[in-house]
Amino acid sequence: MTDEALSRDARAVYERCMRTIRAARVLVPERRRDEWTREWQGELWYRASLLDRSRSRDRHAAHRLLVRTLGAFPHALWVLADEMRIDPMLQDLKYALRGIVNRPAFAALVIATLALGIGANTAMFSIVNSVLFRPLPYERPDELVYMYGAFRQGNQASVSPPDYLDYRDRNSVFSSLAGRTVFGTAVITGSDEPERVQSSIATANFFSTLGIKPYRGRVFLPEEEEGDHAVVILSYGLWQRRYAGDARIIGTAIPIDGRPHAVIGIMPPVLDRTMDVQLWRPIPFNTDGTSVRRFHYLRLVGRLKPGVTIAQAQRHMDDIARDLAGQYPENESWHLNLVPYRDVVIGGVAPVLLVLLGAVGVVLLIACGNVASLLLARASARSGEMAVRTALGAGRGRLVRQLLTESLLLGVTAGVAGLVLGHYLLVAVRAVGDGMLPRLAEVEIDGTVLAFTFGVSLLTSLVFGAAPALHAARADLAAVMKSLGKASSSRFGVSTRDALVVTQVALSFVLLIGAGLLMRSLWRLQDVETGFDSSRLVAASVSLPQTKYTTRDAEVRFWDQLFERVRAIPGVESVAATTLFPLRGGGDTYFYIEGQPPATDADRMNATLASVTEDYFTTMGIPLITGRVFNASDRAGAGVMIVSDALAKRLFPGTSALGRRLVVDFGKPFVGEIVGVVGDVRVYGQANDAPEMMYFTGRQPDAGWGMGFGNLATRVRGDPDAIAPQLRAAIRSLDPDVPLSAIQSVESILYDSVSAPRFRTHLLVGFAAVALILAVVGLYGMLAYSVTQRTREMGIRMALGARPVAVFRLVIRQGMALVVVGVVLGVAGAFAATRLLRAQLFGVEPTDPAVFVFVAITLTLAGLAACVVPARRATKADPIAALRLE
Amino acid sequence: MKPLSISSLAVLGAISRSVRYGFDIMDATSLPSGTVYPVLGRLERDGYVRSKWESQTIAQREKRPPRRYYEITASGARALAESAEHYRTLGARLGIPDRRSAAK
Repeated sequence: MTDEALSRDARAVYERCMRTIRAARVLVPERRRDEWTREWQGELWYRASLLDRSRSRDRHAAHRLLVRTLGAFPHALWVLADEMRIDPMLQDLKYALRGIVNRPAFAALVIATLALGIGANTAMFSIVNSVLFRPLPYERPDELVYMYGAFRQGNQASVSPPDYLDYRDRNSVFSSLAGRTVFGTAVITGSDEPERVQSSIATANFFSTLGIKPYRGRVFLPEEEEGDHAVVILSYGLWQRRYAGDARIIGTAIPIDGRPHAVIGIMPPVLDRTMDVQLWRPIPFNTDGTSVRRFHYLRLVGRLKPGVTIAQAQRHMDDIARDLAGQYPENESWHLNLVPYRDVVIGGVAPVLLVLLGAVGVVLLIACGNVASLLLARASARSGEMAVRTALGAGRGRLVRQLLTESLLLGVTAGVAGLVLGHYLLVAVRAVGDGMLPRLAEVEIDGTVLAFTFGVSLLTSLVFGAAPALHAARADLAAVMKSLGKASSSRFGVSTRDALVVTQVALSFVLLIGAGLLMRSLWRLQDVETGFDSSRLVAASVSLPQTKYTTRDAEVRFWDQLFERVRAIPGVESVAATTLFPLRGGGDTYFYIEGQPPATDADRMNATLASVTEDYFTTMGIPLITGRVFNASDRAGAGVMIVSDALAKRLFPGTSALGRRLVVDFGKPFVGEIVGVVGDVRVYGQANDAPEMMYFTGRQPDAGWGMGFGNLATRVRGDPDAIAPQLRAAIRSLDPDVPLSAIQSVESILYDSVSAPRFRTHLLVGFAAVALILAVVGLYGMLAYSVTQRTREMGIRMALGARPVAVFRLVIRQGMALVVVGVVLGVAGAFAATRLLRAQLFGVEPTDPAVFVFVAITLTLAGLAACVVPARRATKADPIAALRLE
Repeated sequence: MKPLSISSLAVLGAISRSVRYGFDIMDATSLPSGTVYPVLGRLERDGYVRSKWESQTIAQREKRPPRRYYEITASGARALAESAEHYRTLGARLGIPDRRSAAK
């Protein structure tokens, strides 16, 4: 047709209409696009020519035509919907199922790989989601602020009760400010075996501040803060365990620390999950113990008033702290340190969890890479099939859709399998990780996690199904038909697969480095010299009821009698007691060298202290370096003490510490002469250096803490676990009101003390191992496929005289080139990534050369192993068969 | 047989009266283009109409691209009659007087 058929104006209208048509035509499936366009073109041209014929230059007619043209959009959509009828979809699904059933190994590999990645991610994401992201189980948890006491030497101290009252009454930023003690135990006696439980002294408004309502009974009343009220609230766990969930317990009295307390309420189970407290008692304000500003033992929780930020609250509380310091000299430099309550509950695990989440993310990436590689290889292998189907009239869209259906089916199946796997992984983590992660009991697979899992599996299968699908559908019919049976592979497939393998190797290298560093750090931690002999040693905690053992003499008498009975147990080598058991932590106090009092508070020195009985050092195997240990004649007024090697060296460098005297602050100053120096002991766990220590004998009532609560150390000749019943019997025969708890061999305490680092190390090692396996499988798959594709080339090479060893080398070189590039990239990645681990490492640098070298060698060897099988297969290529295809 | 929808009935009716081109059908039925073309597609898929391209000679003579036109098939004619009858009966049952018979 020629342009002369239309006038200029009509031509303009036609052109405008066709612009709309061109926009709409992209919606029309390719198969029907041309016909669809021609129909509209024919009508529009005809109508435009009518505009000319009527010569009316009717603007309305032109406008009507333009409006009518808009109908092309619903028309195009209708054609699209018609093309995507449900029938072909079912057909696709049937076809996809047949594809999977026909190639079960391929499908199993894809599903297993994806399921592994998705399962690990589901489990890890569930943990991170529950621990870090889910709000705390309190009312409007974002308003809650935790407060430490802060002074010149630290910002995680506590707050004294009188200071609390002032902060509570003077502040205008908190709608409610509460406090409680965070360290403390109590002994429950009564009909059952005496039991020592975690107990907390709280202000009356503590529960209402958190928004926690009692499960049964009531919370404390404000008047119960005044004077001594023997009332108690039980935790849900204790109520269930010790009182079998009997609601009649409310109103009755139970003996706690030898005194009857009325049970007034039970806390809901939710509190058990965030606080390890079984007994709650009200704080008695304005008594001897609670009116001294120097005694700091409360931690505060406040609920911010609406609109107040934590920074504003901090400034406001600082102002009050300055006023208090002006008023009371002992408050000098004391103030509050406000942190979001969430941070306190979660503690320091956030970086650990995020590192682990990153690690599983990498595992998933590698898994996706593998699946992509598999699907690409598969698509290449099927390019012949696709070409034939195209030749028979299948549209490209139809082929793409069919391939996508197939990968979606694989993805969804893998998602379901991954979810099941994730569930069991979570069960395992909950069983193993108890006590190593906060809020672990809250961890579960919820809606968010489900959505995440299926999002991941759908996305993975779509992304990695689409690329091969488009690739296959784009296949050049003639070229493919020509090469049928010769199996060549396009550049696109090869370079993408190479890049995938390199990426996988690099990613798994980074993970292996992380795992290697944590492993080495864990070994260092386990090999740490504790400073004592842990073999065949049993620890146990003993609490003497304060109402019964009121004097230091009474306590000492109890211990002496107990030692006598324990020594009588067959197999016991020696026995002793201490207020501070190594690895379990302890307290410290101030001191100075006699004659050299500190000029200011800031110059004061402090050291960790313990009260011990005579045989303590021999029983524990702590070496005596110089001088003597305590003996039974070191009694009141003897004024003796023993110091650790580190303390002696710091105080008296180059000279003997024996005979020197220290003034130690126990409320009243105690002057002690150093009679012995003993080896250093890691008191605060293996990861922490041995502190400077001062030891006092329990027989000196003016020095050290009382021994009403002590740790029994027993060295046995045989199995340390077998002695527990006899120890119990010995104590019960002496005083049935004295509870014995935490009986444990010291070896197992040591084992437990690194349980948290071991837990995360094993997790990361597991993830890294999975990554390594996946990467090796990926490399193997890629090479095996490539060798199959190049059978003809190999055959010709051998026909032309290439020796099998040369062909073998060719394949190995191809594979190892990828591995080496991957390792080099991995080294760079690891240098960047392991920085995140620094805080988790003990005695190992993030760039530890030994780990890097070891991992590089391991990965290279694994890569080599993956290359060998395909390389051997290449040497078996049959020259005759290859040539026959030419 | 399921009766045709009202718009299908209108379009099929127009075609049976030899209104054969898409835009002409819009004029005849006062239905918008976004309705007429999907209806035509559905009718064709169901075999009630068949479409053809007008001969190249006519198009060339008139110096324009060929237009597509629609013809009613035998099963289309049957469907048209049955559906019209269905709606008439329905109208009668609802007490709506049949304007055509009233005019006679």
